[in-house]
Amino acid sequence: MIDTKILDAAVSDLRNILRDGLVATDIWDRTAGLSLAGYNQQPVAVALFTRITQELESSLVDSSFPPLARYYLLDMEGNHTAVVVNHGTLLQGMLVDNKRANLGILIAVAIPRMLESVARAKLR
Amino acid sequence: MMGRSVSWTEPEKLAALLASVAPPRPAALVPLVPAMGAMRAAGGARARTAAVTPPAPAPPAPKKVTPRLVQTSDNPSDRLDALVGWTLDHQPCTGAFVADDNGLTLAAHGISEAHVALVGPLLSALVAVRAIPGIDASRGALWLGTNMMSWVETRTERGGFCLGAVGREALSIEALDELRDALDTTVRGL
Repeated sequence: MIDTKILDAAVSDLRNILRDGLVATDIWDRTAGLSLAGYNQQPVAVALFTRITQELESSLVDSSFPPLARYYLLDMEGNHTAVVVNHGTLLQGMLVDNKRANLGILIAVAIPRMLESVARAKLR
Repeated sequence: MMGRSVSWTEPEKLAALLASVAPPRPAALVPLVPAMGAMRAAGGARARTAAVTPPAPAPPAPKKVTPRLVQTSDNPSDRLDALVGWTLDHQPCTGAFVADDNGLTLAAHGISEAHVALVGPLLSALVAVRAIPGIDASRGALWLGTNMMSWVETRTERGGFCLGAVGREALSIEALDELRDALDTTVRGL
């Protein structure tokens, strides 16, 4: 069981941290592809990053590389950065405007807080 | 026949004669204006006294009291901005920054991100230094070529954070203690 109220609070906290630097976010179950919480939710992005993450994880295993740990980042055209956070059974995508959000705060503050919050939601 | 004249040889008789004709003398003359010689003598004495007596110590300059940083916001960005602002206002520096232990800038003013990024390798290098018993190495100063960067580091469950200040001189131990307190206050809420 996952406490979606904690997930909603975590999304609200993320918006508070990144402010207008956060364009969109989703937290979804990686097997069902079902979004459990989010802001400006993007179902297409959920499907896309589920597939990319599966490909990435299997490629790392096949290449005898260390497995994916907490997150990966994509630097995209138009000053956008996509972050995919690995919560285990859940995945989270964030689309960030990197002209408005600080990368240091994203990595050192926002992602660790999200990891803690989602772990708390999964404990319920 | 005339009596014998008073002579210098009979001082008692001379004194008695003078006392009978002269008004009584005041016990002591008190000059209203001291003689110049006396003044010079007194002034010289004073000058000598001044030369010999060590100068009184100047009253100690009032110690500059730096107000403690009070964080009023829960928002990480606001807290970090407040920390950088407080550092610039109360420490002798021209730039200040907060970085994580990888050298990623969380907040900065008056210093380039390239300079902040050196915090990453700097803190990594200090890991080996800290292995030496008795060496803390959680604060220090580094000459950048034209400026001195002073920094303090603190560690939390989410990793290390570094507060740095750039100026012409390294900060004092007291100033570094103040920075450390302010950094601890700030990152506790992140």
